[in-house]
Amino acid sequence: MAETKTKSGTIVHPHYGCTVGAAYTVAAIKGGVPIANCGPGCMYKQFFLISFDNGFQGSAGAGGGNVPSANVGENDIVFGGTQKLDDLIKSSLAVLKGDLYVVLTGCSGELIGDDVESVVRKYQEQGFPIVCAETGGFKGTNLTGHEIVIESIINQYVGDYDGEKEQGLVNLWFDVPYFHQNWRGDYLEIVRILRASGLKVNVLFGPQSGGAKEWKNIPKAQFNLVISPWVGLKTAKLLERKYGQPYLHIPEIPIGEEATTAFIRKVVEFAGINKRKSEAFIKEESQLYYYFLEHFAEFFSEYWFGLPSQFAVIGDSAYTLAYTKFLASQIGMIPVKQIITDNPPPRYREKIAEYFHNIAEDVSVEPEFIEDGYLVEESLRTVDFGSGVPLILGTTWESDVAAEKGGLLIEVGPPTTEEVTINKTYIGYRGAFTLLERIYSAAVGGK
Amino acid sequence: MAKKINLEMTSVENREMRLGTIIAWDGAASELVEESDYEGRKEKKKGNDIHAQKHGGCPGNGSKACRLCELKTPLNQQTMCANAIVECQIGNLTDCILIQHSPIGCAADNAWFNLAFKMGLTRRHKPVQNLRIFCTNLLEKDMVFGASDKLRQAIRDAKERFNPKAIFISMACATAIIGEDIDSIADEMEPEVGVPIIPLHCEGFRSKHWSTGFDISQHGVAQKIVNRNPKKQKGLINIVALWGTDYFTDILKPLGLRVNYMIDCANYAELEQASEAVATSTFCHTLGSYMATVLEQHFGVPQIDAPQPYGFAGTDAWLRAIAKIVGKENETEEYIKSEHERVMPRILELREKFKGVKGFIMTGSAYAHGLISVLRELGIEVDGSVVFHHDPVYDSGGENQNSLKNLVEEYGDIPHYTVSKTQAYQLPQVFRRVRTDFVIIRHQGLAPEAAKLGIPALAMGDEHIPVGYDGMIRTGEILLDILARKRFNQVLQRHVELPYTKWWQSQDDPFILSKEPEVIDKALSEKLKKKGA
Repeated sequence: MAETKTKSGTIVHPHYGCTVGAAYTVAAIKGGVPIANCGPGCMYKQFFLISFDNGFQGSAGAGGGNVPSANVGENDIVFGGTQKLDDLIKSSLAVLKGDLYVVLTGCSGELIGDDVESVVRKYQEQGFPIVCAETGGFKGTNLTGHEIVIESIINQYVGDYDGEKEQGLVNLWFDVPYFHQNWRGDYLEIVRILRASGLKVNVLFGPQSGGAKEWKNIPKAQFNLVISPWVGLKTAKLLERKYGQPYLHIPEIPIGEEATTAFIRKVVEFAGINKRKSEAFIKEESQLYYYFLEHFAEFFSEYWFGLPSQFAVIGDSAYTLAYTKFLASQIGMIPVKQIITDNPPPRYREKIAEYFHNIAEDVSVEPEFIEDGYLVEESLRTVDFGSGVPLILGTTWESDVAAEKGGLLIEVGPPTTEEVTINKTYIGYRGAFTLLERIYSAAVGGK
Repeated sequence: MAKKINLEMTSVENREMRLGTIIAWDGAASELVEESDYEGRKEKKKGNDIHAQKHGGCPGNGSKACRLCELKTPLNQQTMCANAIVECQIGNLTDCILIQHSPIGCAADNAWFNLAFKMGLTRRHKPVQNLRIFCTNLLEKDMVFGASDKLRQAIRDAKERFNPKAIFISMACATAIIGEDIDSIADEMEPEVGVPIIPLHCEGFRSKHWSTGFDISQHGVAQKIVNRNPKKQKGLINIVALWGTDYFTDILKPLGLRVNYMIDCANYAELEQASEAVATSTFCHTLGSYMATVLEQHFGVPQIDAPQPYGFAGTDAWLRAIAKIVGKENETEEYIKSEHERVMPRILELREKFKGVKGFIMTGSAYAHGLISVLRELGIEVDGSVVFHHDPVYDSGGENQNSLKNLVEEYGDIPHYTVSKTQAYQLPQVFRRVRTDFVIIRHQGLAPEAAKLGIPALAMGDEHIPVGYDGMIRTGEILLDILARKRFNQVLQRHVELPYTKWWQSQDDPFILSKEPEVIDKALSEKLKKKGA
């Protein structure tokens, strides 16, 4: 399958952070405190791509922009950094309020081979809720890190379980917190949909996260729900082995009524719960949806001054797929370039490409997998967007090409420095219209 | 003859070694002036180790008695590093390329410096473009087998794609630990690509303070780009800056000077001509002292030995020092007089508005000295401030550049002067000790914490705002807007909790963890007892 195209694998204009960027996975858990066993600049750097320059998301609690950090220095490299780490852990536990502390070791700690585990074990044995994760930045992207951190928490904190399972309780493995800039709003919408359909949800991340206690409930769930083309599958397989939980994999994040209704039916079917509640909810939401769509249709049909039609998406696997599917199959826009930048492991790539085939009636797309922003832009530069204004859903990095083409750039992934995100979602029943509002406000306003 | 910076070496001695820089200290500014012993260090830099240091030794420091006392904190939060600084300097040149020889995470803040770069280009009226930094994107196998071929290919890619005027290579923690030889690769590849290739030894773990990254960037520029056979350009003055608006032209045009900004937003030719200028100055000695000193020592470009251009006294003295070099003393006296008359009415109005208002600075070191001057000119009381490091002396050792001393002598003491490297967890104690109505910040992490304590922040993103006579007015006008935001902060304070334990919030000393580390064990055992109960 498609490999990175540069000869050397260098990257200009990165679209992801490194493994220690998963500090933001910890920060997204209510009461979660990341502790970075890292060099001085590591957390600073991740902060910008994953949080600040990704819709200026901000953070709550101890996590985000002020991660406790060993700020590993030359002495620690030469003489070992475990004493410094021990002091850092101890003082973090004393000063920062939290229910779950996760030590993330970066490049330096991993390369000099500090025995982090034994430092952390000391605190585990004393009864502190603390785990460690080996997240040296050279191990890959922040998405890799996301799954490493989850696995560390499950193995070291959640632990073994052989009790009862709770019918209708589902573990939600969905957006990667912070990396997906609308994640807070996305979680609210997906959880609203699942709960209204009769399911109980271990939300795990975001505004409705139940914190460390909820993580302890993971083994009790009836099944795991993975909503992503590939991120989360590793976790689901781990939980299948560890707790005997089956998982349902839905690669497409649903946007719009038809996709969301199909999504609900699939989940409810898999859970085997009574359909009365979900069908009533579907009916109610569908009525609302088409009430609004009818209004939108007036503008869409008789706006005199032209609207964008041919579009490109540059983003991670999950949202490149979700946006392309919705705009192509529900709005009738024409996908002309879809570039996936999140470096999915090669074994998933064929499958991901397949999701784009027959994405709408008579519409098939061949996505490109490119990590190097320079090549992304070169590829985008060659696109013929036809007669209308080019629409590009992408990132700040594509702004130069968008300007060259006189296109509309809507920033939807990292880095995003021309959008402020608070509580926003483009998914599900309700988010679909926010997405349309965003696109068509830009179209009629010229920006 | 001052100890010369060695341009033959590719690496730069860290600030802590070169200047005695510290990152944690707490006391009155006047005490730090004393302890710093700028004069003594200045002599030492000149090679006269006269043991002039009356103060400033930690007890038990023995022969190293000149080392400043420094607190060691067990708890640190995220900070910048020298590698990030190199990105923000060298990565913001318009026609040169920086290659970060590192795993991809080191490039994760490219987006931030891209934003700053684009703002800077806009302010300087240059074509706006995204920055173009390469990252060699090293993976686990590169850590094992080495990554030199990747770097060679990246150099070729850079040349082929962008045809830059120069290529810089920055070292990261990972590449330094595995022993990548960027010096040899630079030498080897230079003939092939036909442009200067400049290695920068800025791995994050090297120096305890990121500002060493400024020196490393400037060193590389001086070493390989600055013209060694300069033809003097009458009327050209170097201003070592970041991305600030071009107010220096407004200030210096009446003296017949053209401004050559370096390093951010500059192109190769602008860096090259630095040796052709009549003088060098800066808006901040933390940033500019190394470059100014190198240009003075190696290229004969004098640096302005004067206080920084903030407030009336600083700006007057700075202009006079420049006037002396360009031989325009008389005109400058006129100019100073008319400028005072021009700005005074508005400043008097602002002073009226700021009666009883208190302010607090949290920025880099020398810049904070300038900002405090401006606040005090505006009649704002400043009882405390946080600087991210302290240099007891600058590379220049310039007699009139002792910026903290200048501040204390001109405007009085700052009773609670804290050196602390963006450590937000100390703010509850800091703001219990010192009341303030607002903070002025640079660097991330502090303003959001102050916000939860009810304090609005002016993020001084355009660092030239407070410079010169108009700088006082500009700063004052913005502060009026910022003070109004207090309503937002009060809402936040009413409803949002701080992320600290009750125990920590009950502490009064921001440095208690350093001074009495045993309190940590006590706090933890109590935490466990509570949990057990």
